[in-house]
This record gives sequence, C-alpha cells and structure tokens, in this order.
Amino acid sequence: MKTSSVTKLKKQENYIGYLFASPWLIGLIVLGIFPIFMSLYFSFTNYNMISAPTWVGFTNYRILFTNDDLFWKSLGNTVYHVMIAVPLGIIVGIALALLLNSKVKGMSIYRTMFYLPNVVSVVAMTLLWLWLFQPNFGLINQLLSPFYKLFNLEPLGWYLDQNMSKMTLILMGLWTAGGSMVIYLAQMQDIPVTLYESAEIDGAGWFKKTIHITLPLMTPSIFFNFIMGLIGSFQVFTIAYIMTNGGPSRSTYYYAYYLFDKMMNDNAMGMASAMAWILLVMVLIVTIVALRLNKFVFYLGEET
Amino acid sequence: MKKIVIGLCLVLLGVFFIGCDGGTSDRVIIDFWHMSPVGSESFSATKQIINEFNESQELYTVKGTGFGFWDYWDKIAVAISSKTAPDIGFSTIDDVPIRAEAGVLYNISDLIDADPDGIDIEELYQSQLDFATYEGDLYALPFTATTRVLYYNLDMFAEVGLTEADVPTTWEELHTVAKQLDVDEDGVIQQLGFDPTYGNATYHGYLWQCGLDFFDDDLNPTLNTQKHIDVLQWMIDFNSEYTRNQLVAFGDANAMLGINVFAGERVAMIVEVDGLYQIIQNAGATFNYGVTSIPLPDEDGVRVNWGSGFSVELYDNRKNEEDQKAGAWEFLKYLMSKEVQKEFSTANGWLMAHQEAMEEVAEGNTIMTRLLEEVAYARDKRYVAYAPSWHGNDWQPYYNQALNRELTAEQALAAARANYLQKKENWEATH
Amino acid sequence: MEATVVKIKYKSRKRRRLITAIILHIVLIACSFVFVFPFLWMLFTALKTPAELLQGIQVFFPQTPQWGNFLLAMQRIPFFLYLKNSLIVVVLVVIGTVFSATTAAYAFAKLRWKGRDKWFIVMLATMMLPIQVILIPTYVMYNWVGWLGTRLPLIVPAFFGGGAAFYIFLTRQFFLGVPKELTESAIIDGANHFQIFIKIMLPLSKPAITTVALFTFMGAWNDYFGPLIFLSNPDHWTLALGLRSFQTQYGGQYNLMMAASILIMLPTLIMFFFAQKTFIEGIKFTGIKG
Repeated sequence: MKTSSVTKLKKQENYIGYLFASPWLIGLIVLGIFPIFMSLYFSFTNYNMISAPTWVGFTNYRILFTNDDLFWKSLGNTVYHVMIAVPLGIIVGIALALLLNSKVKGMSIYRTMFYLPNVVSVVAMTLLWLWLFQPNFGLINQLLSPFYKLFNLEPLGWYLDQNMSKMTLILMGLWTAGGSMVIYLAQMQDIPVTLYESAEIDGAGWFKKTIHITLPLMTPSIFFNFIMGLIGSFQVFTIAYIMTNGGPSRSTYYYAYYLFDKMMNDNAMGMASAMAWILLVMVLIVTIVALRLNKFVFYLGEET
Repeated sequence: MKKIVIGLCLVLLGVFFIGCDGGTSDRVIIDFWHMSPVGSESFSATKQIINEFNESQELYTVKGTGFGFWDYWDKIAVAISSKTAPDIGFSTIDDVPIRAEAGVLYNISDLIDADPDGIDIEELYQSQLDFATYEGDLYALPFTATTRVLYYNLDMFAEVGLTEADVPTTWEELHTVAKQLDVDEDGVIQQLGFDPTYGNATYHGYLWQCGLDFFDDDLNPTLNTQKHIDVLQWMIDFNSEYTRNQLVAFGDANAMLGINVFAGERVAMIVEVDGLYQIIQNAGATFNYGVTSIPLPDEDGVRVNWGSGFSVELYDNRKNEEDQKAGAWEFLKYLMSKEVQKEFSTANGWLMAHQEAMEEVAEGNTIMTRLLEEVAYARDKRYVAYAPSWHGNDWQPYYNQALNRELTAEQALAAARANYLQKKENWEATH
Repeated sequence: MEATVVKIKYKSRKRRRLITAIILHIVLIACSFVFVFPFLWMLFTALKTPAELLQGIQVFFPQTPQWGNFLLAMQRIPFFLYLKNSLIVVVLVVIGTVFSATTAAYAFAKLRWKGRDKWFIVMLATMMLPIQVILIPTYVMYNWVGWLGTRLPLIVPAFFGGGAAFYIFLTRQFFLGVPKELTESAIIDGANHFQIFIKIMLPLSKPAITTVALFTFMGAWNDYFGPLIFLSNPDHWTLALGLRSFQTQYGGQYNLMMAASILIMLPTLIMFFFAQKTFIEGIKFTGIKG
C-alpha cells in the first residue's frame, strides 16, 4: 500500500518535472532542432551560402584533422587560453566580489563603476588596453620601468610579443570580470546571516569567516562560472579580433576565430559547420568531466 | 499567476498585430536596399532620389531600406542565401560570378537586349564590366568605382622647402623626399614622410606595379621569385633608420588617434583610397594637400592601382516575380542614369561608375579630377575561389611576421605560398 | 574597571574599522580609475567638436563641452520610436526569459523526472554551438512560418528558453541552495509544486532572478545583430541598431558615435545601479540549518 503511493508520487513528480521543463523543451524541439540539425548536415557538405549545398561525406572532417595546419594551431592556442583564463577569471571574480561585498559607504557607486567595462563600447575598451599595455608608452610598462632597470630587463612586449600575447589578452579579458562578480554577489546574499553571527560569537575574523562560510557557500556559483567559463573560453574570439587580429605570428589565432574566417572569408560554411561540431563534441566531453566536480559543491538545499 | 498568463497572452497578441501592417495599392512594390540608413548624412538625399522615381511613373513603388555600411553586408548575405533578397541592391563587384553561377541574379544582358537604350554601357569602365560578366553575359552593373592614389601634405612639404614640383614619381624619389619629411624627438617619431605599409597600400598593389602577381593565370600561387622577395624587402626596409619598436610605438599612437594618420597630419604622404578625400573633408581639416598617382618602381613600372567598387544587382528569389523584375529593371535604368549617378556621388562622396556623370561632378575640383584620372588605371583583385580573402586574411599573418622581422621576406613568402597550396588542395578535394 | 576595558576595546575596534575602511576606499578608488577610464574617454569624445577630434588624444578634454552632440545624435534618428521598439522587445524578452528560465530551473533543481540529467547535458550543449553556424537555417525557418518582417523572431524564443540556457543553469544553481526543509514542509502542508514554485522558490531567489533579469535586459538592449537580421521594416528598429547609423563608411563622426553609445548604455547602467541594491536589501532568509 505504502510503496504504491510512493511510486504514484514519483510518477506524478515525473509528469510535473516535464511540465515545468516544457517551455524550454518545446522551444528546443520546435525552434532549435531544425537549425541544429541543418548545421550538422552542412558539416557534411560543401556550402558557400549561395549555391545549394553538395554532399561530400566526411571530407571536411578528414581535411581538418589531417591536412590543415591552422586547425591544430588554433586549437592549441584555444586550449592554452582555456587552461589559464578560466581559473584566473574565477579568482579575480571572487576577489572583486569579496572586495565589493563589504559594507562601506558608496559601495553602490563602486560596484557600478567596476561593472562599467561590461557595457562600454568596444572602441573605448580597445583604447584603454592600448593606453595600458602598449609596450613603449603604455602605463604598465612605465610603472614597471624602475623594476626593469633594477634587474636590467627588457621591457615586456605584451600583445606584441608572441610568447606573451595570449597572456596579455587573458589579462585584458579580466576587465569584464564584473559580470561574474554580479553572480557571486547575488549568491553571497543567500548566505544566512545567522551563520556569520554564530561564527562571530566564536570570535572568527573576516578571513576565517570567508574561508569557512562564504567560500564554501559560494561553490554553486563558482561551479556555475567554472562551467560557463569553460564553454565561453573555448569560443574566445572577439578580443583577439579587435586587439591582435590573431597575431603576432598567429599566436592569438583561436579556434572560433578560424571558424569565423572559414565562414566569412572563405565562404566555406560546410567546413565552418564541421569545425563547430568538432568544437561541440570537445567541449561536451570536457564539460561532462567537469560536471563530476559537482560533488564538491555545497548546496544548502541538497540532502547530505 | 493567471493574471500574469493572461496579460502575457494579450501582449503577445498585440505584438502579432503590430507585426502586420495593411495598406494596398495597385502599384508593384520594389524592394531596394542601400547603405544610407535613417540618421546617416546621405539618408535624405537617397530618399529624395527614390521619391523622384516613384513620382516619375505610375506602375511601381520603390521601397528603399537603408542599412549602415558595416551592417549591410551581413544583412544581404543572409537574405541572398535564404532567397529573401530585395529586388535590387548593392554588392561587391569582384565576386559577381559566384552569385551568377548560383543563379541568384537576373541576367542583365538579356534585359539590355530587350531594352537596348536603357543604359549607357559605353559610359561604364570596361574593366569593371569584365568583373560583372559570367559566361559572356552581364549579371550586374558597376555602380561605384574606387581607386588608390598618393596623398601628399603640401604644408609639410613647405616646412622643409619642398613644393608640388618635388612630389615623387618613382620609388627612389619617394624615398629621398620621405626622408626629408621625417621628424623625431628623443627617439620618438613625431612624423613620418612615408611608409609603404601605411594607409591602404598593399603588397599586391606594389607587385602589380612591377608586373608581378600572387597567382599565375591558372590561379596557382607564385610568390617564390627573387623579384617578389625584393618588393617585400623594399617595403620592410623603407624606414629602416628607425627600430621596429620606434615604428610600432608610432603606429600604436596613431591607432589611438581615432582618425586616419594622414588626416591627423602624422604622415606627409600616404597611399590611400579615394574615400580619404571624404574623411579629410568631413573632418574639416584645413591643411593643403594634393593627390597623384602612386610612384612607380622605375621607368619600366606599370601604372596601375587596386580599385574596386559596388555592383548593383537584380536578385532572383526563384518566385517568378516578373512584375518585380520589370520594375527593378526600370529602377536600375534610373539609378544608372547620368543625373542620378551625379546625385549619388554628391550624397555619399562616392566615385560613380558613370564616367560622364563623374566628369561633370568633378569639374573645377582638382582633387576629384585627379582621382577620376586614376580610376582609369584601377584594376580589381581576382576572385580566387579557394582563397577568396587571399589578399587579406590569408596573407596578413605572413606579411605581419615579415614586417615584425619574425620571418625574413623569403621565409614569409614561402610560408604564405605553402598555405595557399594547402588551401587549394583542400578546396579541390571538396569540389 | 570592567567597563573601561570594554570601552577601550570598543574604541580600538572602532579605530581599526576606520583604518580598514580608509584602506578599502583607497584600493577601490585606485581600481575604479582603471575601470572608469574607457567610459571617461567615451564621454569626453562625445563632447568634442569635429576639430578637436582631429587632434586625437593629445586633447583629452574638450575645450567647451558640446552637450549639443547628445541632442544631435537623438535628433538625427527617430529616437523615441526606436526607444519604444527597444522597450517592446526588451520587456517581453525579459519576461519571457525569466519565465522559461525559472520554470526549467525548478524542474532541474527540485524535481525528479526521467532523463533529467541527460536533458541537463543537452541544455549545456546548446551553448556550445557557435550561433553563427545556425543563423541561416534559423532565418530560413522564420521565413517559412512567415515571421520575417515582424518582431516575433526576437521575442517568442525567449518564452521558450531560446538563448536561456545560461539563465536556466544560473537559476538552477540558486534554487539548489533553497533549503529542502522549506519545500518539504510545504508539501506536508498540502502545497503542490506550483504553489511551492510561486510562493517559496521565486520570493526566496530574488537576487538570482534580479541577476537573470538584469543580464537579459542588457543582452536584449544591446543586441543589434538580431534586429538587423530579423527585422525588415525600419519602423521596427531598436535603439541599438538605429544608433549604428553613425558608424559610417568613412568613420569621422566619432563624437556622435560616442554620444550614441552613451545614450545606449545609460539605461543599462541605471538598471545595474538599482539592481545591485537588491543584493543588499534582498530578503535574507535565516537558514533553518543555521
């Protein structure tokens, strides 16, 4: 008797689950499936976006894997970028959020200012970066010049040096860490005040409270930013497009940049679609592996 | 919750109705896309041109829609590939054949045969018409023309005692004059006489002047002769008194300028397109300057410059819209007429394809007249199916590596050539 | 005696707090400058005369600020028509996205249904395909259903989770943080899942929903590409698209361009300013576990 009511409840929850997911699910099936499968189909064709696509089987994939130097070069650059940009982005985002979570007068203004780079025009951002990173007259090298003199070093070449260019773009990308900062800030508001209060009674300072309460309870949004960072970083493109044009020596020629070129400059939509699907499979594998980290995430609402 | 849902439904319904607008008339609607959106300086003139056509006859109403210059290309590309293109619009002239081959363009030669007096074909440049020809028939008409010339700043010339008589005509003179115009303070370049890599100068442009090219007649990449290396070396070495760092600092400082380096009076001479004349005018610059043909390598050099232009095309969306086709043809004739070509030139600052119209526009304007003279020597780049962006995207990385001294001229050219060969091989594997 | 000790302790703590606050302010102000610089450049460029533009950054400050440039940028286009269009699209997209993201997030966070985890992966995967490769088929599809030329392609997908994967995932993370005891006790009280969703989950996730609404607003407000591709009637154009008219072929009108950009970003900044306040003032429920 009891088991049957439990199964009934479970069955009911199954329906309700689908019901709640249905707006998104219907959207995916009705609006999403056609374009997604068309792009999969294009990847097996030769398609210049004007004439009808012609079937070429696996040729696009074969060429990319066996006879395309830029494919591997751009993939290598992208993996490098992902490995550094994702952790660094998380650290800076959390640091900013912690800094801006203090109860200080004018915090609203500071938060808004820190978020500004996320909304200003690309031209203005490019200018800021030149102003900061330009090796000859940029502010950073000017500030570092006593240091360079002291150790008798050559000034850093930043985006003009092929060994540093990827790193420079990653640093530039940190200006928009305000986006993930907002998510961390929102999450911090969900942390029950009572936890802090009881910690304060135990005499815990800011540092201890951060390590033992704030950070563990922020893991859901850290996990979120980690997964989104992975997905986003694999598609890194704009910053290289505007700052370095993929150079110097193609050191910032990323996968999505190459994909874009295939489509826009070579009119090779078939090849671009094949690249998109290879990317999808790669990122999917990495993400599924990364999802295992979910077990380190502390959800207040999860059963222990 | 219910209220919210009902509210949402109402709003959605409202949007449905906003989407549909009524209005019927007996006239056939002709869709025309151009590059003068609401808010741009040329908008009202373009609207005026369209209105005049609509008032001049009673069969058709041309509905013009303007998109910003930088957005137009995405918009029309998506529309063409999904067969929702306008009846008439602009595109680029060097790749007309791929659209003709795909069957998305109406055959203009057929229309001309049926209506021989419609268009002053003899007023258009033959080199441009050749680009718009596919299997012997015209599939587009040249609408604008562009050219590249040498701009020189006469005020800067005067400062070092040079006059218009000293404007260089050969690469050697160019170097001698340029060096007199360099200015630097404490190792920071303030002004450059000339740099062959600045502005809109291209390696292939200099190659053409030497009778060379990137590809042979069968579109196989060349690039591997000593002459090719020499031309690139000349570009790299032109300002070799300065270190790479000094030149880059000058270039980046210019990038922060937000305006063309010549218009911003940072270089004394530059190879640029005719559009720079518009930039200088729009910016309200007050210095004295002139334009002339790009200096030649030597007496045997070829007088040629890279020029292109917009084409005007009638799009076939495969719906058998004979009325639209006829209307678009009427409007095309109107657009290509001398008076309308003149109006377009004044509104947009474009050099138009109609020679007589342009001569009349340029009358009394020395710079325009010189620009027009150079259009006659303009040549467009060839369309290479396996590397449509051979001059840009495919070449730039190697070119930059050569300029940055990461590769020698010879290595850069060899690497670029290897890349073209790989692209060609891969292209052939899928065709 | 004891009282004095307490007093001294209190005083020194107060002093320490003051010093921390001062240091914090110094750090914040220093950082702010770097974050604000691009905006300042935009503002000063927007206020320049064409002649000042010619001199580049050697003239960082305009001599007499040309506030008229803002007016000019507004007058050159049908500003209020575009504003109305933007609002129609943006408001509906925000409502649609919040609706589809929260419902799906509730399903993923709080309900057990067959295939849930697989669908979750599918949802993440929809973010991994660069949108450029599905643009043309999407356009073709809207052409078939006759939506081209209307605003529907910009609005309807939002109600069905189009482009909402990011927000679904985000909201799910926050929903998972709502203590289970709250939902369980509600079920014991006889509440169904719709009631729990409306009466417990949504109110308790105010900061998260604010974040979703804010990001969606900014995304839809700044998007010019969607309107460019899907709208055909210029009377439907949005501000983000309409203000691009100043980016002409030959450049040159930098001051108007920047004035236009500032006009575009101001509402998002104001939104942000007020939205982030809810992060402080938002309901802080006391955790049952605490």
